[in-house]
Amino acid sequence: MLAIETHGLTRLFDGKPAVQDLSLAVPAGAFYGFLGPNGAGKSTTIKMLTGLLAPTSGRAAVLGTDLARDPLAVKRQVGVVPDGLGLFERLTGAEQLRIHGQLYGLPRAEAARRADELLGALELADQAGKLVGEYSHGMKKKLALGCALIHGPRLLFLDEPFEGIDAVAVSGIRGLLQDLVARGAMTIFLTSHVLEVVERLVTHVGIVREGRLAAQGTLEEVRGAAETLEQVFIRTVGEERPRPGLSWLGEGGAA
Amino acid sequence: MSAGGPLRALAELRLRVLWRRLRGGSGVPELVARIATFAFAIPAGLVFAGLTGAGAYQAARAGPGLRSSIPVAALYFGVWQTWMAVSLSVSDRSQLDLRRFLVYPLPPARVYGYGLAASVLGDPFTWFWCLLLLGAFAGAALARPGAWLALLALVSLGFVAATAAMAALVQELLGRLLRGRRVRELGIAAIYLGLAFLLLSSGGGPRPGVFQAIRTLARFRWLAYPAALASEAGAALFTGRSAAALPWIAALLAAGALSGWAAYRLALADARSGGEGAGGAARAAGGGWRLPGRLAPLLEKELKYLARHPLVTVLALIVPALSAFFGWKVAPHLPAEAGEVVRLLPLVGLAMYTHLATEVFWLNAFGGDRGGARAWFLAPVRLEDALAAKNAAVYALALALFAASAAALTAAAGAPPAWAVAAAVALHAGAAPWFLAAGNVVSVLVPRAASTSIQRGGRLSPLTALAGMALVSAVSAVFALPVLAALRLEWPWLVAASWAALGALGLWLYRLALPRTARLLSARREALLAAVAGDDE
Repeated sequence: MLAIETHGLTRLFDGKPAVQDLSLAVPAGAFYGFLGPNGAGKSTTIKMLTGLLAPTSGRAAVLGTDLARDPLAVKRQVGVVPDGLGLFERLTGAEQLRIHGQLYGLPRAEAARRADELLGALELADQAGKLVGEYSHGMKKKLALGCALIHGPRLLFLDEPFEGIDAVAVSGIRGLLQDLVARGAMTIFLTSHVLEVVERLVTHVGIVREGRLAAQGTLEEVRGAAETLEQVFIRTVGEERPRPGLSWLGEGGAA
Repeated sequence: MSAGGPLRALAELRLRVLWRRLRGGSGVPELVARIATFAFAIPAGLVFAGLTGAGAYQAARAGPGLRSSIPVAALYFGVWQTWMAVSLSVSDRSQLDLRRFLVYPLPPARVYGYGLAASVLGDPFTWFWCLLLLGAFAGAALARPGAWLALLALVSLGFVAATAAMAALVQELLGRLLRGRRVRELGIAAIYLGLAFLLLSSGGGPRPGVFQAIRTLARFRWLAYPAALASEAGAALFTGRSAAALPWIAALLAAGALSGWAAYRLALADARSGGEGAGGAARAAGGGWRLPGRLAPLLEKELKYLARHPLVTVLALIVPALSAFFGWKVAPHLPAEAGEVVRLLPLVGLAMYTHLATEVFWLNAFGGDRGGARAWFLAPVRLEDALAAKNAAVYALALALFAASAAALTAAAGAPPAWAVAAAVALHAGAAPWFLAAGNVVSVLVPRAASTSIQRGGRLSPLTALAGMALVSAVSAVFALPVLAALRLEWPWLVAASWAALGALGLWLYRLALPRTARLLSARREALLAAVAGDDE
């Protein structure tokens, strides 16, 4: 079964295509890395698949449900860490998690119990009583991940989860995600620029360039036997450009 | 390296940002609203400028005495107090934030000066004040042309600069000296209450006089030093004593420079310290509110958001206290022969005012969510429920304010008749669904990211403000009709009954509008998120 299936998904902004004719096939249980250069349409794709943006044309089915026909049913089974995080800055960390769980239909007591467990697993227990607005960027990322997990989703969308946080936090998040996938607990759809980390995590890859899917398949199929993911990525998106001279660099400031 | 090039670049940056702010970023309606705001301010300014010009003309020809000194004092003090009130409550002061510019090799003092100029030039209210001063200058020039006008121009320019600098200084002082969030809110509330107490307590006898109030305020006029110095200089100039005006002009310019320098030093210290920082003790993690019903988590989130907003603390302190002052000083003087319906006015005023005071929350319901607004579209939440929870929370706030203020008014002025209480309650409850239904539509159509600070702006967009004015006027007009009928028929209970009926109609319209507004919200989610979540701080 496919966790995500799209046909001809397209999104235009002022007539210009951000995503064009995208046909994704993400198997259930996969750890899918959705890669591309800046402005390629990765975040736009996630926003369309999670209901933040409406597609201009095309169809998308998430966990077997048509997204346009029954968006609430899809949202109940999906967790999202969006670019920009989506946290309420004037709630405490504990309140954010618990209320988030209740918004996803959990009874209050169960939401509170899971929130406590997640705060411990994410090493945020000491900061649970602080307002989210006072958290560091890394803490907010971890809290956003907790919000995405609290209701036990079958599919997890992560938009740039490793950007802007330190190696220790990255290691913690990576370990948690690997554990989830190893248990067969969920499908994960992730975008990131940190290719070294992505390569160690994913089972499947999709590479998008200028809004179009340039490559898709298992990591081995896309990478080939002898190359790294970074080499494949650069070759696929064709981003090698001649560098300008910049001869004035190193001359010591403005004249 | 000279500072000229970078400073020119900074000036260009300020002008471009100012131009784009004035043009607006939300399309044609926002631009129209901004034009309308200026279009109101400038013609109104011209009308008032004509009046002040006439007053200045008379003053310039009158010679020494009250006929010249009173209009001059009224002009400068009137402009000063309104300018300060608007600056502290409405104006956006983000141009005075030095944090973004400390990284550049630019003199921070010049950066601050450019920011101060931009904050003045970009404010339509400031244009209004300047038109008044220009009108006064024109009247004086017509009455008595001569070299003294150059000094009068200097006084007006010095007054503008000193007032702008003083507003900036007060902003920085409030932010710096009252660093803790709660302490700052209490400080602001104390300032407003102190001024109100001063004004209202100036009338000592059974009939408080205007002159008695003026005498009381005159004792504290040097607190408003830009106005006090300008009016001393102006009074000397208008009476032909230019030499006597010179020390006052020098003092005015020095005071303005000193205020600006002090404001800059505080802003620089604030920027170098990183701003407010992560202060505040950790709160207890457990607990939470056990609210009943399907909307419980939504309602909990909205109520907590309101409870933690600094404006709510200020309102909770100010409104009941002002009501008590009003009941103590003004209500006893409402003449008994005016009729029972007139005696309803204080409670009625409170009922409407508490909705007005909270309009920033119901006219821009998603502004405070900032990045969290994404949750409404990511989580399996019906958008009607999200809107209903926001409306319920704001209504609870307005109701609490009304109840506390009415109790304070009653304690000070005595219990009103039962029909008056019923009417005021009916008005408060009856107007709410009208405001909330229309406010939901405005919130969806014209969202704006809202600041949690009450110093550096966080007000509504011009279009929202105009919509709010139109809405309040329309609802007030509709709810005023039963009052006219009751006055004519001399049947006070007609008011309560009519308002209850209007409220029931409003509630029916609210329930009809809610799902439609939710669909509109869904259709406009991209624009809303771009507006409120686009600049997560």
